[in-house]
Amino acid sequence: MKDWDRLITVEQMEAATAALLENGIKVGADSWQQRAKNQTPHCGFGEAGTCCRICSMGPCRITPKAPRGICGCDVHGIVGRNYLRFTAGGSATHSDHGREIMHTLYQTREGGNYQVKDPEKLKRIAREWGVETEGKDIYDLAHEIAEIGLLEYGKPFGTQRFLKRAPEHTQKLWSEAGIEPRAIDREVSQSLHMTHMGCSSKPEALIRQSLRAGLSDGWGGSMMGTEFSDVMFGTPKPIDTTANIGVMEKDNVNIIVHGHDPSLSEMIVFYANDPEMIAYAKENGAKGITVAGVCCTSNEVTMRHGIPMAGNFLSQENVVLTGACEAIVVDVQCIFPALGPLSKCFHTKFITTSPIAQIPDSDFIEFHAESAGENAKAIVRTAIENFKNRRPELVNIPDLKTKARVGYSVEAIKKELDGVCNSHVDTYGTTKPLIDCVKAGVLRGAVAMVGCNNPKVRPDTAHIELMKKLLKNDIIVILSGCSAQAAAKAGLMDPDAKEYCGEGLKRVCELVGIPPVLHMGSCVDISRMMILASDIAKDWGINISQIPLCGCAPEWMSEKAVSIGNYVVATGIDTYLGVDPYTKGSSEVVELLQGEHGVKDWVEAHFIVDTDIESLGDKMIAGIEAKRAALGI
Amino acid sequence: MGLFDRVFRGSDEMFAKAEAEINAVVAELGESAPMKMPDTAYYLSCIYAYLGKKVTTLGELRDALCDVKAMMTREHKTKDIFTSGVGTAIAAEMIEACKYARNPAPYEGTNYHGHFTDAEVRTLGVPLVTRDIPGFVVMIGPAPTKEEALETVKGYQSRGIFVFLIGGIIEQLLECGMTMNFDVRVVPVGADIWSVGHIISLVVRAAFIFGAVQPGDYDGHIDYSFHRIFAFVNAYKPVNDITVACGAGAIQMGFPVITNDTDDMWAVPKSLIINENTQDWIETSLEARDIKIKVTNIDIPVAFSNAFEGEIIRKSDTQIEIDGSRVDCCEFCRTEEAQKIEDHAIILDGPDFDEFEPGAKICLTITLEVAGKSWQTDFEPVVERKFHNFLNCIEGVMHTGQRDMIRIRVSKAAFDAGFRARHLGEVLYAKVKGEYETVVDKCQVRICTRPEGCKEIRAKANEAFIARDARLKSMTDESVDQFYTCILCQAFSPSHVCIVTPERLGLCGAVSWLDAKATNELDPNGPCQIVPKTRCTDERLGAYEDVNEAVCKYSHGALERVTLYSILEDPMTSCGCFECICGIEPMSNGVVITNREHVGMTPLGMTFSEMASMTGGGVQTPGFMGHGKQFIASKKFLAAEGGMGRIVWLPKELKDQMADRINATAKELYGIDNFTAMIADETVTTDMEELYTFLTEVGHPVLEMEPLM
Repeated sequence: MKDWDRLITVEQMEAATAALLENGIKVGADSWQQRAKNQTPHCGFGEAGTCCRICSMGPCRITPKAPRGICGCDVHGIVGRNYLRFTAGGSATHSDHGREIMHTLYQTREGGNYQVKDPEKLKRIAREWGVETEGKDIYDLAHEIAEIGLLEYGKPFGTQRFLKRAPEHTQKLWSEAGIEPRAIDREVSQSLHMTHMGCSSKPEALIRQSLRAGLSDGWGGSMMGTEFSDVMFGTPKPIDTTANIGVMEKDNVNIIVHGHDPSLSEMIVFYANDPEMIAYAKENGAKGITVAGVCCTSNEVTMRHGIPMAGNFLSQENVVLTGACEAIVVDVQCIFPALGPLSKCFHTKFITTSPIAQIPDSDFIEFHAESAGENAKAIVRTAIENFKNRRPELVNIPDLKTKARVGYSVEAIKKELDGVCNSHVDTYGTTKPLIDCVKAGVLRGAVAMVGCNNPKVRPDTAHIELMKKLLKNDIIVILSGCSAQAAAKAGLMDPDAKEYCGEGLKRVCELVGIPPVLHMGSCVDISRMMILASDIAKDWGINISQIPLCGCAPEWMSEKAVSIGNYVVATGIDTYLGVDPYTKGSSEVVELLQGEHGVKDWVEAHFIVDTDIESLGDKMIAGIEAKRAALGI
Repeated sequence: MGLFDRVFRGSDEMFAKAEAEINAVVAELGESAPMKMPDTAYYLSCIYAYLGKKVTTLGELRDALCDVKAMMTREHKTKDIFTSGVGTAIAAEMIEACKYARNPAPYEGTNYHGHFTDAEVRTLGVPLVTRDIPGFVVMIGPAPTKEEALETVKGYQSRGIFVFLIGGIIEQLLECGMTMNFDVRVVPVGADIWSVGHIISLVVRAAFIFGAVQPGDYDGHIDYSFHRIFAFVNAYKPVNDITVACGAGAIQMGFPVITNDTDDMWAVPKSLIINENTQDWIETSLEARDIKIKVTNIDIPVAFSNAFEGEIIRKSDTQIEIDGSRVDCCEFCRTEEAQKIEDHAIILDGPDFDEFEPGAKICLTITLEVAGKSWQTDFEPVVERKFHNFLNCIEGVMHTGQRDMIRIRVSKAAFDAGFRARHLGEVLYAKVKGEYETVVDKCQVRICTRPEGCKEIRAKANEAFIARDARLKSMTDESVDQFYTCILCQAFSPSHVCIVTPERLGLCGAVSWLDAKATNELDPNGPCQIVPKTRCTDERLGAYEDVNEAVCKYSHGALERVTLYSILEDPMTSCGCFECICGIEPMSNGVVITNREHVGMTPLGMTFSEMASMTGGGVQTPGFMGHGKQFIASKKFLAAEGGMGRIVWLPKELKDQMADRINATAKELYGIDNFTAMIADETVTTDMEELYTFLTEVGHPVLEMEPLM
């Protein structure tokens, strides 16, 4: 196999980071690398999940000498409760993001800050929900759907509307397991209730609720977040962009958007392209304006507009350390409070915008859907005016930049697959071409790789090394969140990265015209992957759990990731983790989550945890081959 | 059984057969017996291409078996079925080679074609580039009925698709009386599946010749066939394992397979397509390989396709013969004022074909009158020269010659189908309007069959031809302001760039300076781009900075410098479709030229194929140069090395064909009369020593020239 020379290695990225940290030292900046050192070793009880501080009798920590808490709860109950609370935190977060989107949808109007850019999708969902679309003004429909969607959060009866999208077999499993999510807020509340002092301590009940709270996220709040972001901002389709820290431009005003909710960043992107603003930037001595992103806000705007991706979760300090960041504008989730003091070491404006994420040492410009345009303009203006405050001696933008093709929504993937259909024998608009490749063996299977960075894992290495291993083995990889950005930073999202694949996947990439790893969006967009898996199962006529497919989060760190893991497993997809979810203190919880007769008996899938990345990859490949063998292919 | 296991089983079968055949032939003839395929410079091409080994003896052939075995790996990955598939193709070539080890012409007297010569491969260059041949189909096995076989093959033929046949379909077509040969682009390759080795041999030689892909560069060969050879396979059921294994090789090369076999068969998008409706295969296949056919609907009662270009019409089958060597005939394109033209008028002056006796030899003139705002009189010869191609594509019509020396035969079958004189006009109108739409606003065709009328028209045309020649003659490299690039071939030869000048036409012989000019005006962003000639750095060599910049740009950096008039210093590259190849003969300090049609040996100890393999694919090889026939008589031919006086040997047929022009130029350059008498040919000698003796005897001017090196 030819060595493909455009790949940026982890070593190169680390060298660039080291140079940036040198920059930081000059101005006395702190860094996550240093703080991680200071925090090591981590608390063993916390890591094992065996510390309970739910009531004030404790904290209770379980040891061989003290096997039960003061209330009498054993280690399995404590670990199970902690796991459920962790899940509920993630589910609440994703779902609240979805709720914000629904509120924004409610604000859409003709000619307004927010509009309906994909009316067809809106109508499709309306029909799915049994809402009459004929003869209705598209904005009346949008408002009606927004209200119905918002009711999904608190409706007194019934289960989530989107569950009907799953194959019947999956719906049946959910029903039989008693994990069909009801109102989203109810599942979060009930999780907190169940884990309150003196409620549930039976691991099985706690894990069941974890799956249900997860499903309320993946098939509820997250799915609404994704679907209605598409309605408002457009359903992503393939678009070329660039990635890694070198996308920041030395002579331009650099605005970094960071966080998760696209409502703000969409506006920033719009006004950064405004001729008036560009002229203003030039007046202020810059050549232009560059908007780049980190984390999932970046994923949102790159999927729809090809906005360059400066980095992922653990790159957030790097963009400031370049000394060329005029403003880092954040919305919600995964924002380091460290950005406050760090920005003070440079000229960078750290602008917080959401009442949900209020951080010391930031400029708070509260963002409202009604005044979004004005807010965004003020932010862009602030960044431009800050250009002159740069300290040239501190400017250091590492020359690392790759090409990436992004924008693979389920709709876009099907459209790409249509491109290899033959009109004389095939039907269009299905996942069948992909299925045929898997059946014939040209592709062995697929892996949905997702999740964050975590200093416990050498950043990006697990993502990139696992991807390379899978690609060589003819396994196609779909990505979201910071995993997607790891791939983009390395160059694996460049269609030329097909050179890194086995012959089967390489040929598929050539014929379909795709990169070997497909960017499906932000972490909320993992809901897209659930829809894709459902469609494959339906088109193939098998159960989701039979598809040679697995999920993988090798560097995960947030509560959201645990919530995701729960709904991916609950959907019937085995999920491989490279970081332990604070459960190893309880053999019973480990057995429930990872054993052959826990959640696997309910939903036909389970977790596999292995912190040895090489071994994790081997297990995934073996898992996929086992599913093939079971299907007789 | 899975697809992969079928491929593995089939490739094992093919390998076992190859092993048995080779062992048998080695036992019979000995391992030192020579192993050579006829008329190729590429050894056993598949082995040479994919493994990089030159097989010249049976022992070497046997030794290659273990290399092939090594390709047949058995993991359940696509890579393994791909290399096993290509290994199967090589094994097929080996099986066929054993036949040639015993007999240089094993298919003589059979209905099968077998091995393709290098010359045949090279003739495909231009039509592939121009998309006259938009693709190739390999059809395997018997079709459901012989009628369907005929209909499908004719369907491909009418779309210009080159058809290779293997197995039962050949018998079916023979029963139908179908004409099959290389010229009509329907080739019955062989009865057994291993004859597929000949087709893959042709594919890899295209990559060698036009793509300059190196021997042993497996990935390079795969990449070339995938991106540049628009082939596909039609395999009728039952498709056995060995055919499935060949199919895997085809798919690795980028050629989709279409089959109607559903038994243990696995669809793979765009690669292995199952369509039980065999009557729908043509369209299914073209779509699978992304071949788009430009359809010109011409209102004539017979088929129209470039597959008929090579059709021969025998005298006994001729209804009407138009023979310019006996009576007044001509074809002529002239510029006319727009108001005097009624667009699409076909005006017949004189009796029509049905008013003559069958087999009559008649006089006929065709005058195409053109008007257009962007039309220039310089385009007249460009369009006129295309008459030959256009009329030859008519089923049942054969056209040769040009100007007033044309010969056209209309077959009885075409006549019976209703073909009449005006249909010649219909074809010209449709094609000229179609291909030159940006410059031709209106055109009409006048056809005359009255002897007096023909005489008058011929005389007028000749006046125009004389004037045109005078202009062409006055048109020299010095008299024009610009040259043109031609990168038409880059679809096949990605790093070659032709520089076309008035005195040096494109090496394929198909693009003159005027053609290039017209092409540029028709499509300003097309293959012919203007090269200004403002910065000459060496007049003798014909070196220009502008030219260097152009070749560098259009070869994407592969070439930095070329000269226009030297064979030694940065000679111009070639794509591989050249008509002639010229190489230095060191003993006399002269050059030897041979052409594609000449299969014999030259005094260099190399045939055309062997000399041609020294260059091509955009590679610069000082001492060897591909060129067009007409360039031989140019004053600029090897001008840097002293000109055409260097020519010491030419194949007789080429020499005779070019004699008048060569002699005229020699007279002008050196004051020598009848220079061609001093040039040796194969009737004089093909031996270097004897050649030198001959040159000394005739007092060839090269002996007085400075040494070349």
